[in-house]
Amino acid sequence: MKLSFAPSSFASIITPIFTQSKIHTRPISYSSISTRPTSLKPKTPLFLRPPTYSTTVSELQKWHNWAQTLASSVGSTFLESDNGPTSENLKREVVWLLEDVLENPKSNLIDNCGFNDGGDFVKLRVELGDLYVLWKQRVEERRPFQYVVGCEHWRDLVLSVEEGVLIPRPETEKIVDLVSDIIEGNEMLKEGLWADLGTGSGALAIGIGRVLGSNGRVIASDLSDIAVRVASFNVQRYNLQDKIVIRQGSWFEPLKEAEGELAGLVSNPPYIPSGHISGLQAEVAKYEPRLALDGGEDGMGDLLQLCTGAASMLRPGGYFAFETNGEDQCKFLLNHMETKTKGVFYDLKIVSDFAGIQRFVTGFKVK
Amino acid sequence: MSYLILKRSFRRLISSSSSIHFQNPSFKSQCHHFCSSHLKNTIQASGYHSFWKRCRGSVLFSANYLKISSFGPSERFFGSGAAVELSSSDGLTVEGIIAKQWPIVEESVSDWKSHASSIAQSIHLIKKRLKWKKLEVRLAILSSQLEKPDLWDDPIHAGKINREHGSLVNKVKAIKVYEQELFEHIDMIKLAREENDPNMESESMKALASMRKSIKEKELEALLAGEHDSCSCFIEVQAGAGGTESMDWASMVMQMYKMWAQHRGYRVTVVDVMPGEMAGIKRATIKVDGEYAFGYAKAEVGVHRLVRISPFDSGKRRHTSFAAVAVIPILDDGATTHFQINESDLRVERMRAGGAGGQHVNTTESAVRITHIPTGISASCQNERSQHQNKASAMSVLQSRLDQLEIVRHAQANAQHTQSLNDISWGNQIRSYVLHPYRMVKDLRTNYEVSDPDSVLEGDLDAFIFSFLSASMDKDEDDL
Ligand SMILES: C[S@@+](CC[C@H](N)C(=O)[O-])C[C@H]1O[C@@H](n2cnc3c(N)ncnc32)[C@H](O)[C@@H]1O
Repeated sequence: MKLSFAPSSFASIITPIFTQSKIHTRPISYSSISTRPTSLKPKTPLFLRPPTYSTTVSELQKWHNWAQTLASSVGSTFLESDNGPTSENLKREVVWLLEDVLENPKSNLIDNCGFNDGGDFVKLRVELGDLYVLWKQRVEERRPFQYVVGCEHWRDLVLSVEEGVLIPRPETEKIVDLVSDIIEGNEMLKEGLWADLGTGSGALAIGIGRVLGSNGRVIASDLSDIAVRVASFNVQRYNLQDKIVIRQGSWFEPLKEAEGELAGLVSNPPYIPSGHISGLQAEVAKYEPRLALDGGEDGMGDLLQLCTGAASMLRPGGYFAFETNGEDQCKFLLNHMETKTKGVFYDLKIVSDFAGIQRFVTGFKVK
Repeated sequence: MSYLILKRSFRRLISSSSSIHFQNPSFKSQCHHFCSSHLKNTIQASGYHSFWKRCRGSVLFSANYLKISSFGPSERFFGSGAAVELSSSDGLTVEGIIAKQWPIVEESVSDWKSHASSIAQSIHLIKKRLKWKKLEVRLAILSSQLEKPDLWDDPIHAGKINREHGSLVNKVKAIKVYEQELFEHIDMIKLAREENDPNMESESMKALASMRKSIKEKELEALLAGEHDSCSCFIEVQAGAGGTESMDWASMVMQMYKMWAQHRGYRVTVVDVMPGEMAGIKRATIKVDGEYAFGYAKAEVGVHRLVRISPFDSGKRRHTSFAAVAVIPILDDGATTHFQINESDLRVERMRAGGAGGQHVNTTESAVRITHIPTGISASCQNERSQHQNKASAMSVLQSRLDQLEIVRHAQANAQHTQSLNDISWGNQIRSYVLHPYRMVKDLRTNYEVSDPDSVLEGDLDAFIFSFLSASMDKDEDDL
């Protein structure tokens, strides 16, 4: 199959352009445990900080017992009130928090059953006092665990996240599997130009960037400047800056010059109906950016916009995959594409996530 | 020319060969055996001349020749698969030495009969542990298969035969080398006495004593000669009936294995835990990574019983609880018993996924269960931080469970140690841990017991494991 990118436009898309973002003028009071996004530079996740603090094993043991007790006190109250975390979830998070702050997490110091003895010193990446504050924020204020540690493990990646950026969801991992299957044996897709719209932390862009062939490229866009900064940080951490560019702007607007040239298009746009947001679990409603969740009155606003864009942006034979809110949105979208944009797409499918919920709509642009 | 002079020149020859540096440190002893085995033949057959020529040849020739000659003994003794019984110059064999029942005294005492007797017993034990007779029969079958001209038409099968043959040949070879060395030293000591050469005698005595020590260590290694013994493994623990008390016991058992594995230098990862409502665990799986993890851990398969005053009983009564333990080998990629999994036979499910999912939910819980539909066997994992990793981890447990099925199907040697949790009957009690009214841990299979349950619960299990492994391997005289 012949690759027919217009070389000039392809190159201009790939040159990184970091859009100037608004400069914050208020004084920056940056604390390692701040919950507000005040810094221009992305925050460093705990596990990447230098282990400059130290404490004794018995002090840490004390913290651990306290943290476990606090976790136990939750029982299933959060679960019952808003489908929040249980004690069991929180106890596992205690282990992971330690894993991230200890210099040597894989030593025999901790395992899931607690500590071995020892009065020795251990090196930490945060002060012991901050560790108390962090765990209080997690349990008492329901701050999402991923914001507390500053990262989310997603597929085989560890992505930096912070307030202002959506924490990538496990469901979304499947889009990378779908892409990975689809490009198998299809040179045009494998070596082509892909787009991830509303990239957030850059999860999909990076996941896809790592499965594409050596000539494959990804452009990722987001309206949020924090998202753009965090995604760029993650792209660099995985050393993919030659393969992935991040641009700020609304949906297709930052990649106009790629019209009709995209080999693939993926997006997990905001899809929650506006009215539902306040009723979501505290971790989501209180902490995650509304811009990342709110899909308008029926949650379909952005999805429909993406459908329309896909028709003109994809090249013939190009592939798309969108994440949705569930069965209703999937069916609506499928029906819309089969009727309103009749003859533009083929092989339209609804794909379920691992919980059995109809989650994704996929298809190809006609050749 | 006397036999004595011959021996002397031979000795000089051997010591001079040490000035040549070889890649293979065992060469010297190999050459030693090679020459000395010829020694006996040649004295009787063609006399000194041809012997001398051969020995000298092997030293003076190039390293290339030496490399080849180091294969000499194996070809001579084992190539045919025939069991040539080795003996000393005056016809003493391993069985002969054992029959003489020379008393075995401390290693430090320079008594060659004691050393010889101890070594002979070690050889005997190792042979038994290797199931010597069966091994020889198997070796003969494999050798004849290897000679079939159409063998390599099925390269996978041929590779399997070839590997197994190679590993059996090595085992036989190792034993023959020991026997050879034993007779060698005995001959030397007798010779030294005839010749009145105290230096030579003490040298050979020392060699005999050090051999006695090293072969004693091999006895333990021979306990782990099963096909999958060298693999890493999963250890699974399940609580018996009895609510929180037995769930607490199950978690104590799991903790015991974690600590045992860590002391042994294995890497331990928790794969799957189903916690109890109040305390303890209903069921858990850990992965133990390292050489011979399966070989040792398989000794723990069965039901473990605890008697104590339950901390969960406000009436402070004595309770008896049970926990079942299963151990599954993690086969190497090259293993032949791998179960071929068809992607389309798998069902992957998110566990404990409530509600609408997606953007609605923030959770760190991404457990998955993978079910192999045709067999109904499933595996789950929730201890990884991403769903992708949970899936990969569950998949490796599933692969091992299906492999285990395959092993049982092939009725291989270790099948009795690779029962799954579901197959273990609660009646199959292997060990009893009593904390009250007295303190003791006793293995019901071997009657081995200790009076310090704390150290056992902290992972001090090796003595139990070894006593069981030796008891189970050494009981059958027929195997020899
Ligand atoms: C549900 S999040 C998905 C983030 C990421 N792709 C993921 O799966 O984790 C939706 C993203 O779309 C971005 N977004 C919202 N409106 C947008 C717009 N008009 N143009 C571009 N991005 C937008 C949000 O900032 C947010 O990062």
